[in-house]
Amino acid sequence: MADTIVMPRQGNSVESCVLVKWRVKEGDEVQNKTIIADVETDKASFEVEAGFTGTVLKLVHAEGDDVPVMQPIAYVGKAGEALPAGAAAMATPAAPAPSTAAPADVPAAPAITMAAMAAPVSAAAGSSPASPRARILAASQGLDATGLAGTGPEGRVIERDVKAALGASAPATAAAIEEALRLGVKLPAQGSGLGGRVTVADVSTSTAAPSSAPVAGATGTSRAFPGPKTETKIKSIRKVIADRMAESLSTTAQFTLNASALAVRLQELRARFKASDAALGLNGITIGDIIVYAVSRTLGRYPYMNAHKVADSVFEFEYVHLGIACDTPRGLMVPVIRNADTLTLKQISDETKRLAEACRSGTAKPDDLSGSTFSISNVGAFGVESFTPVLNVPEVAILGVCGIAPKPVQKGNDVVFLPSVGLSLTINHMVVDGAPAAKFLKGLCDAIGECDILLAK
Amino acid sequence: MYDIIIIGGGPGGYIAAERAGARGQKVLLIEKEHLGGVCLNWGCVPTKTLLNSAKTYAHALHGGMFGVHAEKVTFSLTEAMAWKNEVITKLRGGIAFLMKKFKVEVVSATAEIVDKNTVKTSDGKTWQGKNIIIATGSTPAMPPIPGAKDNPHVVTSTGLLDIKTMPTSLVVIGGGVIGVEFASLFATLGVKVTVVEMMEEIIPFMDKEHAPQMRKALSNIDFQLGCKVEKLDGGTVHYTRASASADGAKSVKGDLVLMAVGRSLNTKNLGLEKLGVDVGPRGIVVDEFQRTNIPGVFAIGDVTGKSLLAHSASRMGEVAVSAIVDPPESRQRMRYTAIPWVVYTNPEAAGVGMTEDEAKKAGKNVVCSTVPLRNSGRFLAENGASAPGAVKVVTDGDTHRILGVQMYGAGVGEMIWGAAAMIETELRVNEAREIVFPHPTVGETIRDALWEMH
Repeated sequence: MADTIVMPRQGNSVESCVLVKWRVKEGDEVQNKTIIADVETDKASFEVEAGFTGTVLKLVHAEGDDVPVMQPIAYVGKAGEALPAGAAAMATPAAPAPSTAAPADVPAAPAITMAAMAAPVSAAAGSSPASPRARILAASQGLDATGLAGTGPEGRVIERDVKAALGASAPATAAAIEEALRLGVKLPAQGSGLGGRVTVADVSTSTAAPSSAPVAGATGTSRAFPGPKTETKIKSIRKVIADRMAESLSTTAQFTLNASALAVRLQELRARFKASDAALGLNGITIGDIIVYAVSRTLGRYPYMNAHKVADSVFEFEYVHLGIACDTPRGLMVPVIRNADTLTLKQISDETKRLAEACRSGTAKPDDLSGSTFSISNVGAFGVESFTPVLNVPEVAILGVCGIAPKPVQKGNDVVFLPSVGLSLTINHMVVDGAPAAKFLKGLCDAIGECDILLAK
Repeated sequence: MYDIIIIGGGPGGYIAAERAGARGQKVLLIEKEHLGGVCLNWGCVPTKTLLNSAKTYAHALHGGMFGVHAEKVTFSLTEAMAWKNEVITKLRGGIAFLMKKFKVEVVSATAEIVDKNTVKTSDGKTWQGKNIIIATGSTPAMPPIPGAKDNPHVVTSTGLLDIKTMPTSLVVIGGGVIGVEFASLFATLGVKVTVVEMMEEIIPFMDKEHAPQMRKALSNIDFQLGCKVEKLDGGTVHYTRASASADGAKSVKGDLVLMAVGRSLNTKNLGLEKLGVDVGPRGIVVDEFQRTNIPGVFAIGDVTGKSLLAHSASRMGEVAVSAIVDPPESRQRMRYTAIPWVVYTNPEAAGVGMTEDEAKKAGKNVVCSTVPLRNSGRFLAENGASAPGAVKVVTDGDTHRILGVQMYGAGVGEMIWGAAAMIETELRVNEAREIVFPHPTVGETIRDALWEMH
């Protein structure tokens, strides 16, 4: 009987994976180690190995399907061999027995790559290296390969990236392609010319700087209205983020308090870490790390903040597991510093860096990305003065960290300007009231203000 | 409930009806008079039919250089008009057949829009439609010139196409396309024709080098340019020369005076105000999908004021139908950059895209190339060595794109579409040079002009 390849389980918290791309088609010969598909959880992407040798008899799911773990995704066997009973129907609820080759509790291929990143990352300086094949294909189609998002090793642009880019845009007139190359821009995905061809005007309007000229009337210029636009399907991780955000805002009563903590000691401490002996390994500790540390030590005194609201219950946690919002090429991810209340400042700093890097490179394990009891979102580096962080449900609170700015403080008859860091705390007012939340925020501000003393605790 | 109700059966409306019918839409076409609209009944088609009679007459008179001598050549207005009417009737029948073929229901009535899904016709009936396309066209404008109103000598293009006796003299007020076409038609038939035009040049959108050449080629017409008509006194047109006051007042007398100063758009009595359709000073405001501000209500053709050409109207009709039946990602758009125009005079003029002046104004590094039509063997053989005509190709010297092609001379109206295809597909000079033209044809001069480029 044919062998069944199932959607591997990626860590304990993952219930399903999106099948991003098939690498094989029915009829292909595969070896044990042949990568047959790219799959993606809401957190990271993985490659699935065949685990068997033989002919691909059937691919059960289409690209883009969200497949529960341990469900069959493909069958491998001898050409012409019969499939297991019930295999014909797509995604049959009654799953055949899991194959031994993809054991339930062993995360499959550790070869976690960025390969499945379907959404191209706009290359900032358009300088990703490209493989010769990619370059030749791109040149033949009038594309600039170096302007594409690479999904090859180390972000290299490979043939499939060029193919994806070509597939993503409408046919263009030769003059439009030349214009795009001249301006160094990508061809717009849709055109306004014959049969939807991208025209020179489409290329120039897609890059045109906003004009201060009077607004052209509807009967005025030949400028298209509303003009070319691109469509990107909201899927995989972006879809998860979208759903989570909507769920968060629609199922909780969000309420944000803003305060600021004196950042004199914070800056001093950071400066001293930076100047310290490299052998201590403390040079990399950031302002953000110190604030995370302060949160980890403060939450214990306010257990109602370190909690989940699930249905009609509130679960207060004894241990502190901190979710750290992290901006990645694929969108927002929230890796978790587990047991943060037991870690030293250096350990917190190191763990934060490890998790952020894993998220950015797509190598984070699913279990790195779940189980937080409280989350922190730090946008201080962008000069944000205050904002309303969105709850990472089911958590009941999230702390937003803003930038450091001088704040006037009265001293006697004088006013001095002291550096302060802005803090924006969003709570779920369904279960946490304003006053208790404000108490926590006050406690946190004090802790940050005296962060050097806190370290001695 | 119809899928689409179209008001107006001209080249915009009936093409829209045909395209929509072909896509399986249930279509109602409301036409107040004759299928084919102004174009077929009082415009493009009758004028071309009469122009053909005039040209045939001229060929018969002037065939000597080709070794053909005819005697006692006469022109019968009655027979020419009869042939014109026969052509119109045949073509109307063709449209009626098409409407039947595509199951378009045709109603002969005027229409008023009641709400965005309801149209009331003058026969008292009410019709329901999911979409409405307004394709009501335009009518000749009558400026308030003293003495023009109720003057039996004054005609519009519609009236001039129905005359029973040949005038001996004709004064045309307006040197635009319509004025010049009628002037050329009657001048070719031996009528003394004067054109009085307020601007300093005829046909404003023509290439600035070609327009004087055209006037020279139309040597049988007396052009009074830069002149303002002050009043009419019977068949006498009084005008003053704006630029040279010393020249003072002048007048010219004609059996008939053709009023050809433009067209007014048929936006009245349609219920547009009540429906709240956005009507600007230059017509019903539409976007590139021919949508008005009212969802489900479209406007096409002259009534949009965007391009008063039959073929523009037809294309707008197709775009509107596409907006109705196609999914958003494959909806067609109306583009105006490659719409060709033809002036049916004897000789003709035609153009597409930018003129040299327009390209310069747009800041292009303009490179032009002009080739006389007599370079073409066929043109020389058929028209003689002194026949007027030239092709001018306007290109962008930086990108080598073809920006415009302008031409005048016998038969150029038949070859301008090739240039339109080049511009619509954004061909560059080197690419267009690779296109093979049949030899010998007059169209080869386009190719010659491309190869003349540096």
